[in-house]
Parts: sequence; structure tokens; C-alpha cells
Amino acid sequence: MKESILFKNGRSTSCMRILCVLLLTAVANPRSLGAQASSPTGQTSTVDAQTLQTLLQRMDRLEARVRQLESERVPAKGESAFTEAAKSTPSVASAPAVPPLTPPAPSTPLGEPMPSGSAQEREAEPSEHVEAERMDLSKTLLRVRGFGDVTLHGDNFHPPNLPGDKTTFTLGQLNLFVTSDISDRFKFLGEIVFEAGPDNIYGQIRPENTNSFGVDVERYLLTYSYNNYFNISAGRYHTAIGYYNTAYHHSTWLQTTTGRPFLFAFEDQGGILPIHNVGVEAYGLIPSGSVGLHYVAEVGNGRESRSPIAEEPVQNIISDKNHKAVNFELFARPLKFPGLQAGFSVYHDLLVPFAQAPVGETILAAHAVYSKTNFEWLNEALVVRHTPEGGHTFQTPGFYSQISERFGSYRPYFRYQYVNASSQEPIFPDVGLRAGPSVGLRYDASESVALKLQYDFTSLRDQRSVQGAQAQIGFTF
Amino acid sequence: MIPRTAALVLLLAAAVFSQRAVGRVEPTSPKESKPQGSLAVVVNQSNPINELSLAELRTVFLGGRTHWPNGRRITLVMMEPGQPERDAVLKEVCRMDESDFRRHFLQGLLTGEVLVSPKTLATPVGVRKFVFNVPGAIGYLRPSDVDDSVKVIRIDGRLPSDEGYELRLREAAE
Repeated sequence: MKESILFKNGRSTSCMRILCVLLLTAVANPRSLGAQASSPTGQTSTVDAQTLQTLLQRMDRLEARVRQLESERVPAKGESAFTEAAKSTPSVASAPAVPPLTPPAPSTPLGEPMPSGSAQEREAEPSEHVEAERMDLSKTLLRVRGFGDVTLHGDNFHPPNLPGDKTTFTLGQLNLFVTSDISDRFKFLGEIVFEAGPDNIYGQIRPENTNSFGVDVERYLLTYSYNNYFNISAGRYHTAIGYYNTAYHHSTWLQTTTGRPFLFAFEDQGGILPIHNVGVEAYGLIPSGSVGLHYVAEVGNGRESRSPIAEEPVQNIISDKNHKAVNFELFARPLKFPGLQAGFSVYHDLLVPFAQAPVGETILAAHAVYSKTNFEWLNEALVVRHTPEGGHTFQTPGFYSQISERFGSYRPYFRYQYVNASSQEPIFPDVGLRAGPSVGLRYDASESVALKLQYDFTSLRDQRSVQGAQAQIGFTF
Repeated sequence: MIPRTAALVLLLAAAVFSQRAVGRVEPTSPKESKPQGSLAVVVNQSNPINELSLAELRTVFLGGRTHWPNGRRITLVMMEPGQPERDAVLKEVCRMDESDFRRHFLQGLLTGEVLVSPKTLATPVGVRKFVFNVPGAIGYLRPSDVDDSVKVIRIDGRLPSDEGYELRLREAAE
């Protein structure tokens, strides 16, 4: 019987395995076998026969299992040798040119199932290489996030000799925020904004119309991140004057209110600050322990002189002077008071308005902000100093204070803002005095959609004060 | 002009605010939950960091620090939304709810202060493998899921087994 089993297949490997199994079985059960063999009761032969029968059945089962395993080792029909080779040899795409320095994967402890691995896990694990200062073509480099808003607004502003505003539904900026991890240390960030110009057409600005919609690359930055203390960016950025300009950028959805404070209005909407700049900025942490000091240093083209509003205030391609605008900001984020930030900035430039003497521009700004998830209190003050060559200095002070608290999905807010420019101001003579409160309510209808209602009252110099109301839906997608 | 606008705005407001808030997860208050064991903060074995204060950990988890002292870029690994470990970290470390956390990172990416979004993994084994493989990774695990492949760091001088360790799992009381 044994012989027939052992040799019927004619495979020495199978025989060896079966012998091993027998040996192992014998070793595993020495006590029982031995006990039965030496039993003086006369039942030895009976027990041995039963044991043998059991063993033979086990052998049959094991032999069947061996056959099954061996058949699995034979390549399936239709599977080419090339496929087999490809399996054993890493493909060019999957083999890193430089072996990663990461240690090999740990052995999984016995009894612990290997992770099935979600799609994110499979994607995440090979994406990190220590020597990653090269473009990883296997990764999706570009990420796009969108922001938009639609506003219904109306006010009683009625400038002399001009038609008054009408109650209007307005398309806000359609903002495509684009980021890309070019490598471990290089990163790209951009904001491409589709917006309405003074004409009504979306997509292109036509000066002869009043409703066109233009495309602006509002930010365009390549950043090299060396460590916590030194990062450097080149391109078009939001000037680090105060807090608001670098905290909210072009998304109304992120802002509590329906829009920016007038102090930080964009240049093409009549704002008085050089919101955008083209140049280089360095920023990072200053070793200061729990004080959390940060710095930002910027050098750029500065803005085109605004009188009253330049066609394109940001000097993207050509600067109108060799003199460069410089800005330095210092602020603290104490570790012990999460949400608190306080700091100041100094900006200096030389403007060269057409047919006028050059005007020195200095902007001094300070801010104290407490912003937590349920409560925010933003306070900023600044003074814009314009000094025409050989003339006296014009100072334009401004500030705003904004407070809000969240109750569930609702966030009521209040803001008071003030700007007071002289009517003789050489760069923005049209601004004058603007002061007044805004009160509103933000309602987060979902995680990505916010509805806002806002009422504004603005006092003007030598004009009737303006009252306005806005309803806005802001969203991200 | 104003009365018409105001009427429109009021109508819109009435329509909107009559609805209940949707899609918002409010963090449970400490009174409504009870501690259910601790949560270990783990980093790669090559990371020189052995200890962080809770405030520093919060800064790291919210993207306020981008690099470790050894120059490695910090990569935060989080478990998927809804898992008790993630809820505990959001509550005890970040002090935010899920939507605030997402919004925080979105704003951080927009300002450029946050270099990379957190990686989200489904299982503790996945987290452990990720932290083992990525030198700058930081994540969190239940102590029973920790092995020698990762390093547990002290928080405010304490390990998860120590008395007074602050990072604890909580489950809502019935």
C-alpha cells in the first residue's frame, strides 16, 4: 500500500515530502505511538492499524494538496513569458533612478494581517523619497481648487453728474487656486482669476465696454522651501503689508464678510495699497522659542503710480523705474496663545507719476489679530506717507476693526473701517474720507457654501453718506 | 433703491435661515465623553525628536512647522474621518472639528504657509507603515498598534502609559 502511494506518481519530490510528513507525524506523536507500541494490553496491533489508517488518510490529503500547489506554480495558459519576466523585473517607470534611502519595509508580525491598503495608502507610500529633488513623473503634479461667489447688492450712492447704482446681481471672481509639488523643496502656487472688468464681458477685458470679464494671474509663485527659517519665492505675490492681504487672498468664501476692508481693496477696485507685487520674497521663522517670531522680506517692482487708477497697477513685465519697492514684516505667533498674531511692516517705494515729480512712498502698518475657529477679532492700522520730491508729506491714515463669533452655522460680524486721504493727495486724490460700520451675518449652509448678508454705512467727505446692502453666496469647489 | 434691495435681501434671508444647519459636525464637549485609553504620537525612527509640548504638537499638526530639525519635511498622516483616533486628535490637539480642520488646511495652502496636506490612511497598520517609510512623517496610533518600527514621542514629558498623559481617546457617553 505504502509503496503504491509513494511511487504511483513517480515524483521524487512528492515522495520526499510524504516521507517528511510521515517523519514529522511520527515525531509529533512519539508519546502516543510509543505508548501504544509498548502497551501490554494486547491492543497494540489494533491501535497501530487505526493509527496507520489515519496516517494514510492524512497522506492522501497532503498528497492532494502537494499536487494542487504544484499545479499552481505552472504559469496559467495565455500568460506569456514576457509577463513573467516583467513580474520579476521592475519596470523602468517603477524603478527609481536613485534608490530611496528609506529602510526596507518591516516584517509583519505573525498573525497580523498585511494591510489591504486603500487607494490613498498605495498612492502615498511610494510618493515620498528622501532624494526627491527631481520631478516625479508618476505623481499628479497639479492640484486645482476653485472659489467663486455671486452677490446681490444695492446702495444709494449717487455721484454728481452720473447715474446712480442699480440693484444688481454680480458675478464675483472665479478663482482657480493651483498648487504643485514640483519636488520635495520646490513648489508652485498660482491664483488664476476670471473677473468682470468695468465692461460686462467674461473672459476678456475690452476697455470700450463696461461688462467684460478678464483673466488675471493674481499670484504666480515658485517657492523654494529650505527649512522652517528660510523659504524664498519668486514671481507675483500678495505684498506682506499687515495681516489681511496675505491671509485671505482672492477667495470671498474664506473671508467672514462679503469683501475685503477698503484699506485692502484690490488696486483695480480703487484700493490704496500695492496689494500685488512682482519680485522676490523670503520668509520664515526667527528662532525665538515660544514667542514664534516670523519675518517676511520682499523686493519687487512696486506699483505703477495711481492717478487716479492706472490701467494695470501691477508692473508685471516692465517696471517704470530702476528703483525697487522693498517691504519688511515682522510678526509673532506666541505658542501659548494659539490664534494670536501681532506684528508690523514697513514698505518703501519711489513712484514716478506722469508729468509730476517723483513721490516717495512709505507705508507703515501694524496689526493685532486673534483668530480662532469660533471667534475672531482683527485689528489693523496703517499710514500711507507720500512725499513728492521737494514737497511736504501727505499722510493717509486708515484702520479697521472686525469682530465675529460663530454660533453653530451662524456667524454674526461687525466691522468698522476708516480711511482719510487728503484731497491734495498726489497719488490717490479720489479717495478722500471713508468711514463707517458694516454689520452682517454669515451662514455656512454646508462645508463648502456660505451665505452672507451685510449692511454697510459709509460716511464720505462733502457728500451724502452711502448705505448699501449685500447678499452673497460664496463657495469652494 | 435701498428698499427694493432690502426686500430682496430679507426674502433671501428668510428662505436661507429658516433651514437648519447641514453638514456640520460639532465637537462633543468633554462632559459628553469619557476617556477610553491613550493615543501615542509616532514618528520615524530616524527623527531626532523625542519630545514635544502639546502646543508644539498642535503647531505641527496644523502645518505651522514645515520641517523637522534634521531638515526633513514634515508629513502629517491622519486616519480617515470618523475614526475615534482622528476625532481625538482633532479635539485634543487641533481643537477643531472636521470641517474647521479641512478649512484650516485649505487656507494654509492658499497662503502658502502649509506645504503639504495631511496624508489620510485607512488603517493603523497603514499609518505605521507610512511613518516607518517616510522619514519626516508624524502620526498617531493606539498603543496596542505600536511596534518597534516607529518611535513614540513624549508629549509634555509623558508617554501614553504615564499618569497625566493628555492625548486620550474619548467615546461618547451613552
